Amino acid sequence: MSGILETLGKLYESTLFVYGLVLLIVYALLAFFSMLAIRSYLRKNNDHQLDVLASSPMAPGITILAPAFNEGLTIISNVRSLLTLNYPRYEIVLINDGSTDNTMQQLIDEFKMVVVEYAYNAKIRTQPVKKIYKSTDPAYSSLLVIDKVNGKSKADAVNAGINIATFSYFVCTDVDCILHKDTLLELIKPVMQEEGKRVIAIGATLRIANSCEFDEGVMTRMRPPRQLLPRFQEVEYIRSFVLGKMGWSYINCVPNVSGGLGLFDKEVAIRSGGYDHSSFGEDMELLTRMCRYAHDNHIDYSIRYIPKTLCWTEAPSTLKIFNRQRTRWSRGLAQLIYAHFGMFMNPRYGKMGLIIFPFNFFFELLAPLIEFTGVVSYIVLAIMGRINWPYALLLLLFVYTYSVMITTISILWDQLSFRYYKSWKEVLYLCMTPFMEFLLYHPLIVVYSLRGYYYFLTGKKSTWGNMQRQGFGKKK
Amino acid sequence: MLDIQVPAFLEPAMNTFRYAPLAIQLAMIFIVIAATGTLLAYFSILRSRYLGYRRDKRLSYLLPKVDNLIIEEVLTNPEVTETSYSDQLILNTEGFQELPMHKKWVREAITGRIMHFRRNVRGNMGQMLRSLYMQLDLDKDTMKKMKSGKWEKKVQALTEFINMDMSISDVTILPLTNSRNRELRAAARHAYIKLSKNEPFKFFDVVTEPLLMWDQVELFRIISSTEDIAIPNFARWITYSSNKSVVSFCLKLIVHYNQLPAVPAVIKLLDTKDHYLRANAINCLGKLRVPDVEEKLVSLYSSQPLHCQIEILKALGRISSGRYIDFLKQEFLHSTDFDLRKSAAKSLVKNEWIASQVLRELIDTANPENLRILKHCMNPLIKY
Repeated sequence: MSGILETLGKLYESTLFVYGLVLLIVYALLAFFSMLAIRSYLRKNNDHQLDVLASSPMAPGITILAPAFNEGLTIISNVRSLLTLNYPRYEIVLINDGSTDNTMQQLIDEFKMVVVEYAYNAKIRTQPVKKIYKSTDPAYSSLLVIDKVNGKSKADAVNAGINIATFSYFVCTDVDCILHKDTLLELIKPVMQEEGKRVIAIGATLRIANSCEFDEGVMTRMRPPRQLLPRFQEVEYIRSFVLGKMGWSYINCVPNVSGGLGLFDKEVAIRSGGYDHSSFGEDMELLTRMCRYAHDNHIDYSIRYIPKTLCWTEAPSTLKIFNRQRTRWSRGLAQLIYAHFGMFMNPRYGKMGLIIFPFNFFFELLAPLIEFTGVVSYIVLAIMGRINWPYALLLLLFVYTYSVMITTISILWDQLSFRYYKSWKEVLYLCMTPFMEFLLYHPLIVVYSLRGYYYFLTGKKSTWGNMQRQGFGKKK
Repeated sequence: MLDIQVPAFLEPAMNTFRYAPLAIQLAMIFIVIAATGTLLAYFSILRSRYLGYRRDKRLSYLLPKVDNLIIEEVLTNPEVTETSYSDQLILNTEGFQELPMHKKWVREAITGRIMHFRRNVRGNMGQMLRSLYMQLDLDKDTMKKMKSGKWEKKVQALTEFINMDMSISDVTILPLTNSRNRELRAAARHAYIKLSKNEPFKFFDVVTEPLLMWDQVELFRIISSTEDIAIPNFARWITYSSNKSVVSFCLKLIVHYNQLPAVPAVIKLLDTKDHYLRANAINCLGKLRVPDVEEKLVSLYSSQPLHCQIEILKALGRISSGRYIDFLKQEFLHSTDFDLRKSAAKSLVKNEWIASQVLRELIDTANPENLRILKHCMNPLIKY
């Protein structure tokens, strides 16, 4: 018996060793690829190009979809922010998903909205649309508001927006997000510059808005969050977008375009069935289905990311809301892997089946489970007195220094490319955060992920929800 | 064996390393790499921020001075409006010479500002800015960049030449229009169109790779904003080019320049097997408002894929001759596709000058969905 246990223990150790090694190599490769991708982006782009496109009659039309549920606190400034975007041909479709606060009334009053008879064609099935509004003020002629029955998911609201979208490309964002004025110009550029492939989705870097300053929905001063929890998230976003997504983009293997900001090919999105309203990770789920559709229909596609920050979103600043958000994300991941497991290591789906899906399975889905079992076995071995403490501490130090290095490199890429933040102190503030992240923030992520998996397995009911926003005000 | 002297304080660590298992040895090596990497990253952040800070500080001192000099010497110079050949006017560059012109970054910054102002002015002022650029010998810097082996420098040089309207020989640019580097190729094509004195559109004949949407935007801007450019009849490429993107781009140019003589070539294009190109041709004919093509479009209609059918309906609305009201009405009433009905309704509304009676009749008899479509199309608040 003890021999079997011994063998199992050794097997577990070896598996973990290989697992850890592969993960480290993947991150090192991502760091390298992201550097190449960012360098290529910076060499190719200049502000003059944006001016040319901004004044061109040949710019492709874009529809912005912004779903809103009880966003009364910030709705007006957020819509104003969308109205200031610099692009020659776009429309804004705001979807009021059955808000129970005064969101709809505020929109009607502020933007002089009236009900119109609109030819709405439900290509994707959603909860019923009650009314459609347009503004009588020519200044807001690009704004359209859909008032619909609550669909208990962001997906249902966005699908209603896709149904009504006029143009071939749509940008999906959250109404609480603040966008950079050149967002549409930047997002459409990869579509227009791609050689030989059809670009089906493009994402851009998101950042935390919590301590930034805004004036009438326009970001005027960028700052890393003062509170620790949002600041951890800022660092996590930089690592995820600037290093992770850019690295994946370089080899055309982007696993997900964030729900906060992404531009999509409308035809492919509709033919893929739109967002899945039963999914908790609807953005990743849609992208997976779009890739699947493209492969099934022999469309040579690409998905791209750009390193420039184009969107600021309010991050959860309390553990309660943070827990809710991360539980939902991990549950969405589990749902996705389960629903599309047929793609796993399936050569028919190219890079999606052979790289992205295995990565998501092994290093996103299984990572919290492996970490948890690792901690448990550590404790058991410690109780049994079978731990070589000097070696154990060395291994821990190795993981710690490596994780700090990877995060610092992502901050470095970010700083070298765009030199965000005004003062040295703010950058220093951000640079210190990775040292605490491993010990304070990461364990939370593991716990919330496991909670999400548990909810997935037990089928606990849950809805898309109220973030309890603070709102973006002008600095007083 | 090399006998490396290890400092005494590192001796315990070296001993641990020597006798540790492979995994631990690897971990120790990576700890050193990670710690060094992190420190280097911090140093690089610090350095880049410092350099950026220094650059900003220098520019914040220099740029207002440069702007003032440009405004004084060129933009508000009374001689500018009076002299018809402003190229020959000798500008007072003393103010500029007081700046540290021997430094490359200063010259770069001045070039940038001159380019910025030149984008926003035309006529004599533009010529004066060009004179200033040459009198300050900034064109020599651009020429140096042009000779550089780096493609980014060449692109920068070509952009400066385009902006300053500096002539370069065809022999220098033409080879670059087929460069393997996409950015350089695009910049060279823009420069060729803008600056070539012979046949600015010559590369349309030889281009083999597709013109990307982005290239088309840039080319369109350059073609439509260049003064004194001889606009050819784009029907030439519609008829003979085997490059679909060139044909598609020429269709847009035909619309922009309202080239009615090109209509026969565009009509011929309706027979192409590529239905995307066919849709573009229909779109072009609609925008040119050629009433003679209506009959041909209607006869083609039933054999076309959906997006071509939509383009035909839109074209009938744009042409608005009033001759195909019955056809539009039939499509509106009997088509099973929502988008076709909506396009037919829109075109009916565009033909309202003659179809008002038909529209009233349809409003009175339409089913709820069709009625909604009609009201949508008739509502001035709804643009699309």
